[in-house]
Amino acid sequence: MSLCFAQNRVRVTRQDPPWKVVRAFRQPGAGTLVHLNNVSGGVLAGDRLALDVEVEAGFSAQITTTGATRLYRHRPGSDDSEQRATFRVGERGLLEYLPDPLIPYAGSRHAQRTDIRLAAGACLFWWEVLAPGRQAFGESFAFERLRIETQILAENRPLLHERFLLEPRKRPMAVTARIGLYSYVASLYVCQSGRPPAFWRDLEDELNRLAQERTCHSEVLWGASMLQSDGLIVRGLSTSQCFIPGPLTDFWRLARKAVTGEDAVPPRKVY
Amino acid sequence: MTPDSISLLRLFQLADSALPIGGSAHSFGLETLVEEGGLEPNGVEDFLRGYLEECGRLEAAFIRLAWEGSNLAQLNLEYGARKLARESREASLKLGRRFVELVNAFIDAPVLDSGLYYCIAFGAAGAVLGIDKNTTALAYLHQSVAGLISACQRLMALGQVAAGKILWRLKPVLARAAENEEVWCFSPFPELASMRHGLLETRLFIS
Repeated sequence: MSLCFAQNRVRVTRQDPPWKVVRAFRQPGAGTLVHLNNVSGGVLAGDRLALDVEVEAGFSAQITTTGATRLYRHRPGSDDSEQRATFRVGERGLLEYLPDPLIPYAGSRHAQRTDIRLAAGACLFWWEVLAPGRQAFGESFAFERLRIETQILAENRPLLHERFLLEPRKRPMAVTARIGLYSYVASLYVCQSGRPPAFWRDLEDELNRLAQERTCHSEVLWGASMLQSDGLIVRGLSTSQCFIPGPLTDFWRLARKAVTGEDAVPPRKVY
Repeated sequence: MTPDSISLLRLFQLADSALPIGGSAHSFGLETLVEEGGLEPNGVEDFLRGYLEECGRLEAAFIRLAWEGSNLAQLNLEYGARKLARESREASLKLGRRFVELVNAFIDAPVLDSGLYYCIAFGAAGAVLGIDKNTTALAYLHQSVAGLISACQRLMALGQVAAGKILWRLKPVLARAAENEEVWCFSPFPELASMRHGLLETRLFIS
């Protein structure tokens, strides 16, 4: 799947199953919203998916999904499923990537690599939620292997590089050095190349005040930190999915207003 | 390569908790974990085992890359991009800066550049002193875990013998972590604790 956002339109330059974009929606202001739809309902063993998104200079894109990304059980003889995504945002462009959670089913094996490149003045709001599995089926970290690599570069400087390998049978998740007794991991990345460190430090303080208000130790824990330059991260650990969307949206709204001066416009969907 | 006696003695000095770089002022998020009930005395050993399997392995990989003479400025940026919690990142930079000043003063020559994270400075110092890569990583991780145990002793009811036994029993895990060359790490809870450290009403540690 290849998408290019330019002149308040979306050009789908390549579209192969299982991914499909049906139409784009004009957002208030100058943005364009796209729902990314996986018509197969999830990522099957051996799938190799590629997503390439370009936001041209000065344009705004908001991308969401139509449902959770389900990673299905590994099949003997298949390779690990794989998803590679590349996002490029041109000068003063804006990308908001607000997908539904990633749910690795019992027995799944998956690798996900995401590269985000921001040009001068480009802006990023990105959230992601990692679930422990299908909790309604009693699954909790029953997947076999999950490799996640996310890299954000601004004008070729590394801002953030997360790279982890989860194999819960070999290295249990429920230890204090990993996620303790929580089971969901939520992240919001906010970046804009060219802002001074003092701006991010002030925003970190503001987001941490909100984090403290939204924290309930027995249910969900939030915190914020500026990155080594040009951005910050809000991170949450939760015992349940239901404690995440509200606060995550609040953090996004606060950061969106502080960085762009504009109100956040939630994706056109029902949560 | 086996370090000769003089190099080994120099390494002991650089990895000694008495080295005045300010290590005892930092808990790297441990203080929040303890204050918020995420860590108790009977969980310290398990915590440090997991810590070594994640953060320890990551630091060992960067020590080894620094020792091999990779572009240290680029390596520093790469490491900084993986340290998401500002307080822990700044703590590592402060320790690294002081460590470099001391090594340059001891050798009486500017052998190390300033502005390096602690583990990267330590790896580069190991190479300068002619100490082999694995021994350098072992020494770094040992002083790092000893520092965390010392922080635990100040934060909770953990006696000297119990603390010593924990460090003694962790050595096999530590030795495995020191050999790591893969840059993977997953430690959201300690990271989050470090992010939340500034929210504590009273603080014993800088980080």
